[in-house]
Amino acid sequence: MIASGIKGSGSSGRMQRRRFIKAGIAAAAAPMIVPGSALGLDGAVPPSERIVVGGIGIGNRGTYDLGCFLEQPDVQFAAVCDVKEARRLAVKKIADGKYGNQDCAMHADFRELLDRKDIDAVLIATGPNWHGLAAVLTAKAGKDMYCEKPCTKNISESLILRDTIRRTGRVFQAGTQRRNLPHFAFACELARTGRLGKLKRLYAHPAGMKAMTSGWLPAETEPAKVSVDWDRYLGPAAWRPFNPKLLDGFNFEKGGGLVGGGVLEWGSHCVDLCQWAADDRPPPVEYNPPREGEIVTRYADGVELVFREKGWLPLGSCPVRFEGEDGWVEAGDSGKLVFSSPTLLAGRKVEEIGGYPATFHVREFLDCVKTRGRPKGNAEAACNAHIACHAANIAIFLGRPVRFDTVTNEFPGDVEANRLRSEALREPWRM
Amino acid sequence: MSVNRCLYAAATCLMAGWCVVFVVMLSGEACAADGRTPKEQKLLAVLRGDATEADKAMACKELAVFGSVDAVPDLAKLLDNERLASWARIPLEAIPDAACDAALREAADGLSGRLLVGVINSLGVRRDLAAINLLAKRLGDADPAVADAAAAALGKVGTAAAAEPLRKSLAAATPALRASAAEGCVLCAEHLLAANQTAAATALYDAVRQADVPKPRVIEATRGAILARGEQGVPLLVETLRSPDRDKNRIALGTARELKAAGVLPALAAELPRATPERAVLLIEALADLGGMAAVPATLQAAGTGPKPVRLSAIRALGRIGDATCVNPLLTVAADSDVDLASAAKSALAEVSAGGSKEIDDQIRGRLAQAQGPALPLLIELVGRRRIGAVDEVAAALGNADPAVRGTALACLGEIVDLERLPLLVQQAVVPKDKADAGAAMKALRAASVRMPDREACAEKLVSAMASAPPETKVAILDILGEMQGANALAAVVAAAEGDDATLQDASTRLLGNWMTSEAGPSLLDLAKSLPAGKYQSRAFRGYLRILRQFAASDAERSQMGRLAYVAARTVDDRKAVLDAVRRTPTMDMLTMVVEAGATPELREDARIATATIMSKMGEATPEAWTLAGRLGLPKVQLEILRATYGAGDVQKDVTTPLRKVVGNVPLIPLPAAGYNASFGGDPAPGQTKRLLIQYRLDGKPGEASFAEDAVIVLPVPGAAANDATSVPHPSRSESLHGRWSPTRRTLVAGR
Repeated sequence: MIASGIKGSGSSGRMQRRRFIKAGIAAAAAPMIVPGSALGLDGAVPPSERIVVGGIGIGNRGTYDLGCFLEQPDVQFAAVCDVKEARRLAVKKIADGKYGNQDCAMHADFRELLDRKDIDAVLIATGPNWHGLAAVLTAKAGKDMYCEKPCTKNISESLILRDTIRRTGRVFQAGTQRRNLPHFAFACELARTGRLGKLKRLYAHPAGMKAMTSGWLPAETEPAKVSVDWDRYLGPAAWRPFNPKLLDGFNFEKGGGLVGGGVLEWGSHCVDLCQWAADDRPPPVEYNPPREGEIVTRYADGVELVFREKGWLPLGSCPVRFEGEDGWVEAGDSGKLVFSSPTLLAGRKVEEIGGYPATFHVREFLDCVKTRGRPKGNAEAACNAHIACHAANIAIFLGRPVRFDTVTNEFPGDVEANRLRSEALREPWRM
Repeated sequence: MSVNRCLYAAATCLMAGWCVVFVVMLSGEACAADGRTPKEQKLLAVLRGDATEADKAMACKELAVFGSVDAVPDLAKLLDNERLASWARIPLEAIPDAACDAALREAADGLSGRLLVGVINSLGVRRDLAAINLLAKRLGDADPAVADAAAAALGKVGTAAAAEPLRKSLAAATPALRASAAEGCVLCAEHLLAANQTAAATALYDAVRQADVPKPRVIEATRGAILARGEQGVPLLVETLRSPDRDKNRIALGTARELKAAGVLPALAAELPRATPERAVLLIEALADLGGMAAVPATLQAAGTGPKPVRLSAIRALGRIGDATCVNPLLTVAADSDVDLASAAKSALAEVSAGGSKEIDDQIRGRLAQAQGPALPLLIELVGRRRIGAVDEVAAALGNADPAVRGTALACLGEIVDLERLPLLVQQAVVPKDKADAGAAMKALRAASVRMPDREACAEKLVSAMASAPPETKVAILDILGEMQGANALAAVVAAAEGDDATLQDASTRLLGNWMTSEAGPSLLDLAKSLPAGKYQSRAFRGYLRILRQFAASDAERSQMGRLAYVAARTVDDRKAVLDAVRRTPTMDMLTMVVEAGATPELREDARIATATIMSKMGEATPEAWTLAGRLGLPKVQLEILRATYGAGDVQKDVTTPLRKVVGNVPLIPLPAAGYNASFGGDPAPGQTKRLLIQYRLDGKPGEASFAEDAVIVLPVPGAAANDATSVPHPSRSESLHGRWSPTRRTLVAGR
């Protein structure tokens, strides 16, 4: 059974957005913009309603996110920070081109950007090495943030990030944009609201089950600081000499201490969806090492969260499947849903939006910046999903089952696993 | 599994890429976490000897998991090493022994600058009570970074004793120290609150609120002060909410959602009338997030009159928190001439459900019975959106003179008819009274059909209706059956594909090609064999291969499908497609079939690629398998990719890693996708003539080969005669390339 809806799944986020809004689904995500017409401004967003945004670490993914921000009428992108000069210049060109001026400021040190009083919110799209720390420092600077995933490198960082966001009262949106796509949202709703019956099993696709971390490559000549600030690039990661191969921010020090790989890279999306389907409950308490292409984990009530490599319907990347006693639903990045029974659709129209655009997720974040509400990819939800991934990686690394206490956030009596919960940050950084 | 049975077995540094993959095995040997082990001693020997910095760094990482108190002295020696201190602190933070605290405290005495900051940070992470005095002294350090780290570390220690020096520093002369102390105080207050020392925590929060410290710290302290007070925090919440300062207003809005106190909701509702329009909008959002009936009267009032943004916000909020009392007011707004307000009210009416939906549904249904004019389509739409079972009342509107009303009624019926009343829509779709209604009727039929609980019975009704329907309607119904899936739908679509109506064949083979279950497989195979050659037969054949490739099945089942597909293939291209489809099925049966296919000259290269893929996926292939592979000139070799680049001129992309992922034990490297660009993550030099350059080691001999874009990658044995080398275009491409061996450069030059 395939969900009804608009056929096809184009690749353009902007096209998808128009379709989404035209289809009327956007009503639930109607932007919190006071219509300019209501204030006699001929459609323009009044300055008081604009959100001034800065960007930290805007590379490939960040540039996509930036596009999603720039298309929002109430966003003023004011500054970019990157350790790489070429990226600073590239982003400035995009922003200045959008506004027809030369106003986008460039910073090599993100602390200069965070010190600016005029910036309300920050887009954090550095490599994963920096995500958690940059988010914590952004929150401490009194700014809201949209932070790309994976947001943290270990369990401890996840908890610190969650607590810092609470303490500072900031709005945090993890880059888990599938939470704001209607078909994934509907699938999660079916599971969360009991329409599938008592939940039995949630499936996530990890795309790789190895525990890995960045190594130490031979030293090469370090470029001028203005071109690439290597010390700043390393940031919280333990020191190692410059090597251009490590400048792949996307993969550098992902997972911190000992872990990372597909479980974290994809899990921060698909495990996050499973967590949402399970009502954003605390993460599983039992984690088993990979066996026959599956990592089986269990929540406190026995519901299973399974990382599974194979056996998926052809619904595109990032598939998830939720099984209850009365039915199941499977969804993927094609925008399509498959149900065990048509009754699950129950008169609902679920729009098919393929290509996992972030436009709606960015929009929800901006609305919450204004209302101080909690976005779907909030820090607590992200923390729980990331802990599930980190704990699964610890089971992979140790090659044996581990048990996690979601109250104390420890592995009771498991010295080895507990040591893998955190990793020292390179001086002078701290979280 | 006991911790004592764990042994870290190996850490393999894959320097060929840049990842380290740690391999862990289990053994009966004692775990280092419980004491000294040979593994730990080996790691310590690395730290003590002349090993490289890289080896020492990796040893530190491993000691974080497998080190004991024995490792502490050696790790402590690295704390003054600018390059390795950060590595040494990883195990020193992780090893659960007081010796680590002592070593860090001792190191703090002799360090300065960043290294001292790092050690202080580690003391904070470890929450070392014995470090309080040391840290308190460091609050006065001349280096602001050290003082700042000490304040944060004291905050993490989080006891009353740690709080005291921080509180005193709130009045320090230097703004930097005051700022640091404020951060430490807020952290301390949090720990105290968690330890049920509420009064101490509240006092600390208040001290920060009143201090001359950066605004973010005041904001944090304000939130903490409100939450720590609980029910008694409501007045401070209101005071903060009223603050002219935007940031304070915002923290109050957020804190209101966190504070578990009965007084919050009434307090916020009471603020609504006095708030500016901008703040009223935000207050309403907070009220809606908090929910509860207490917020309804104030929100209803805001929805009825006042500035439009406030009304819009209130109307939307009523959709979330409203009850039956909101229906009449919202219906009034839904009839408003302002499109934005009316639309928002309609959406709210569709959602409102607090206190139970039945009373609300009954109100709307009751009004529908007497509705006329603009109210009629509005109420019909609401019946549809709320899925109220008022089929008779809505069906009556199908005779309305206004096409818009009829269209709304059809859309509504699509949402509410059951299987018994489905013929109502079938008739409207197949034999519409007014042709203008045909499109809306078919859309409604589709909406109804895809949600029917009994999918098979619904499909039967649709199939019956097809018999008398005009051709374009038949196609539309086939599309609906394709959406529905199920056995009856599949049978009907297959029947249409087998028929002699080209229009229906076109639609049905399109649908079958995208069928979402593997049940379509046998029918697709039958069609591939029975249909005359042409577009529809080809679609059926490719559809069968799609199921072979994409759907869950065992290797045995895939092998069987592969055999059947190969037999059904009619053309060389069909057979090539089969070879491509089965190459990810690593069975002897498929290997045999592929190698046999390779005896046909037109299929040889595709068979070689498929064989190479199968061999790489087989892992430890049997001698029989290698014998088969040898028949296609694919001997077992030891192949290592040293470096690979792809691009044009100076624009070169390092593709070493993706190539290493697919390299196996044969000299042919099968790519995961058709073409280099797709396999290597994009086109590095669009519009330019690109080449792939590979440096490799084959059976211990270094070699280098160059390939034109999309050529099949066959690495020659270095030093072999020129005619041993093979380089031909990828079978999926038509361009003709011919390789030649350049002995001097040991390079295979393809396609020049």
